[in-house]
Amino acid sequence: MFSKQTFRTLLFLLVMGIAIAGCSNTDGNSDAGDNQNTDSEWAGQTLRVHLIGDFDMEDATDPITGETTEGLYVLKEEFENQHPGATVQFITMPWEGYTEKTQAMITSGEADVYQMPGIADFAPQGVLEPLQSYIDEDPEFDPEVFIDNQIEGWQVLGPDSDELQTYGLPFQGDARFIAYDKQIFDDWGVEYLSDHPTMEEVMEKAEQMTGENPVTGKQNYGVWFRGDFNSAFPLINLAEGQNGRWGTGFAWDEIEFEFNSPEMITGLEWLLDVQEYAPSGITSNQGNERWLTEENDIAIMLHQSPGEIVKAAMVQGIDDKIGIAQEFKNDEGLGGMLAGSPIAISADSDHKDLAWEWLKFATSDFAQQYVYENLGSMPVIKAASEWDSYAEVEHLLDPMLEAMSTPWTPRYPWGASQPRYILTSEVEAALTGSRSAEEALDKAQQESTEWLENRN
Amino acid sequence: MVKKKQATSGGAVQMSSSMAANADVDTIKSKKRRSTFTWYLFLLPSFLGILLFMVYPIVESFRLSFYQSNGTVETFIGLRNFQYVLTSATFWNTVWNTFFIGIFQILITIPLGFIFASLINSVRFGQNFFKVVYFLPNVTSIVAAAMIFQFVLHPEMGVANYALDALGLPTSTWFSDPTTSKWGVILLSVWHWIGFVVIICLANLQAISPEMYEAARIDGASSIQQWLFITIPNMSGTFAFLLITGWIGSLQRFNEIYVLGGPSGSPARSIQTMGAFIYERGFTGFEFGIASAATYIMFVIILIFTFFNLKISKMKL
Repeated sequence: MFSKQTFRTLLFLLVMGIAIAGCSNTDGNSDAGDNQNTDSEWAGQTLRVHLIGDFDMEDATDPITGETTEGLYVLKEEFENQHPGATVQFITMPWEGYTEKTQAMITSGEADVYQMPGIADFAPQGVLEPLQSYIDEDPEFDPEVFIDNQIEGWQVLGPDSDELQTYGLPFQGDARFIAYDKQIFDDWGVEYLSDHPTMEEVMEKAEQMTGENPVTGKQNYGVWFRGDFNSAFPLINLAEGQNGRWGTGFAWDEIEFEFNSPEMITGLEWLLDVQEYAPSGITSNQGNERWLTEENDIAIMLHQSPGEIVKAAMVQGIDDKIGIAQEFKNDEGLGGMLAGSPIAISADSDHKDLAWEWLKFATSDFAQQYVYENLGSMPVIKAASEWDSYAEVEHLLDPMLEAMSTPWTPRYPWGASQPRYILTSEVEAALTGSRSAEEALDKAQQESTEWLENRN
Repeated sequence: MVKKKQATSGGAVQMSSSMAANADVDTIKSKKRRSTFTWYLFLLPSFLGILLFMVYPIVESFRLSFYQSNGTVETFIGLRNFQYVLTSATFWNTVWNTFFIGIFQILITIPLGFIFASLINSVRFGQNFFKVVYFLPNVTSIVAAAMIFQFVLHPEMGVANYALDALGLPTSTWFSDPTTSKWGVILLSVWHWIGFVVIICLANLQAISPEMYEAARIDGASSIQQWLFITIPNMSGTFAFLLITGWIGSLQRFNEIYVLGGPSGSPARSIQTMGAFIYERGFTGFEFGIASAATYIMFVIILIFTFFNLKISKMKL
């Protein structure tokens, strides 16, 4: 088909192409050479930083607000200016399937710094660097800058430790709270939720606001909550609100579940009762399509997060009619799921000191403000309350930051494992009438305990 | 003398031409060898791809099924993963769901698709239009189709409930109720697969010899009799093909389940299939050993049913 010479030429070009591609600079930026300050402490060091979410290297248009958001180059330039000679290389990925992708990256040593929501699963594998020595030896680092309970909340067990240790610093904040529509409350003449509502208060007000709206004449629903994928967490919070808990322990061989405790059963019965005031479809994540629009028909939304509310409410100019109340808290003022993303250093990184510098930078005022203003992620530092951008939606962010400072800590260690799915399925079974609350939770307790025994 | 010389020179020419012929034979052989080698070289990248991305994961997954593994830390536990999966009520629930959805998808789609194909085949005008219309769902991404079906079967705002209500029939909460959610998935899969069935049936219908129908008409056979005794027997190979490919696809069902009910097949695991079980244990809980064991059990189940399907349909591979 080919002459000998043509074939040799093609083969040569192929080999050359592979060789050139393989030996080329993988920095992915043309200005890498600008940072080769050979005299500096960080000369020649390239830091690979892994980020999850809607990060973009270039400027982009926010799909919700329509405003231009600045690319990651802002962080890169600032960090490289502060650390002459260092080069930052970002590896970004979407939230979809982040767990398995992160696992694959860690296994093949692809990054020095990881954004790590599932830190409790990774630290016991010995793939992350413990941070306590860095914290102790760095006079510049002040843990007090973080919102209360954030550092403690992300402490996890290492491969050989019996006590919780710091393997990551909070980076992207998150919280769970109750949101409500003040307009619907006004239409029905119902008093707004208190800042720390009880289960009885929510039930009573949800009942009052279910039916035909006296002003608009449209059907209203008193409450909505997600009755499928995430339904385990509102239930745990209901137990916490009654001074109950999910169980005890953090290491798998120490964990004891209390999924069928009296508080959990009362909590699930409460969910079964309150769903009478919710639209059909909560067990398939449906029925809330009008929430955060002018046509909203739901008064109270349980177990909400900031990412779903702040931007969408602001851009439509309806932020004033959204109220935020805390989830159910125990007598110590704690309750609700700890959420968010810490950042951690890879145990096999060749540039651990530079990685620590990145951790400090990423939690600095500059980087936190960038992440909040461009991605809408909640900041994790107290200084956020002084920003102009914060002041614009202070009425929303203040209670959200309060929720961030009062979650149940440490994070539920089973939150991304099989017990979560077992409990969720049984909550769904109860919500759809397949089992009573007690039967469902007895089954969840039994299956989770068996799973634990098999695992250990 | 001259003749002798000519003869001598003629012999030399003959000899040299026979040597040249021998050399030519060698050249053709070596050219053929080189040509074959070239094609093997072209095959090499895809062969390496198959080795790396298919053979290696299959072997590695088999190895992992004997380990308790979270991807980094591994402990050999023999057959415990297989024992766990085979005694897990959750796994057998996923087997039930997979078969329930698969059986009804096949039972509805193949006869319905065949009827549609027969109708399209019998119309004089607009055949291509109907082919395109029926085939369109099949080229739609199942993920997008599943998202659309969530709205179509929405308990309050869905078109399906609106139509049922308009006809005076009772409405349903579809994906919100474990008793109806499986039927929601069946509806989606029938809608998505029927175009493929129609096209395959049409291809077979158009290949049936018109002389057979002509002879039947001369013998006084009615249209129904022609359909029953000529068309359907001639379609047996196509039905067998659709049955086997439909079964294999049904037993591997995952994408639409993940979109509609997440990895747990909400609500209450009512639509969780074997594929979703494997994903849930492997990629949300880091239980790669259990997920691998479940994968091999699923492979054996598919193997057994494909074997029976081949026997029942008398299809030769």
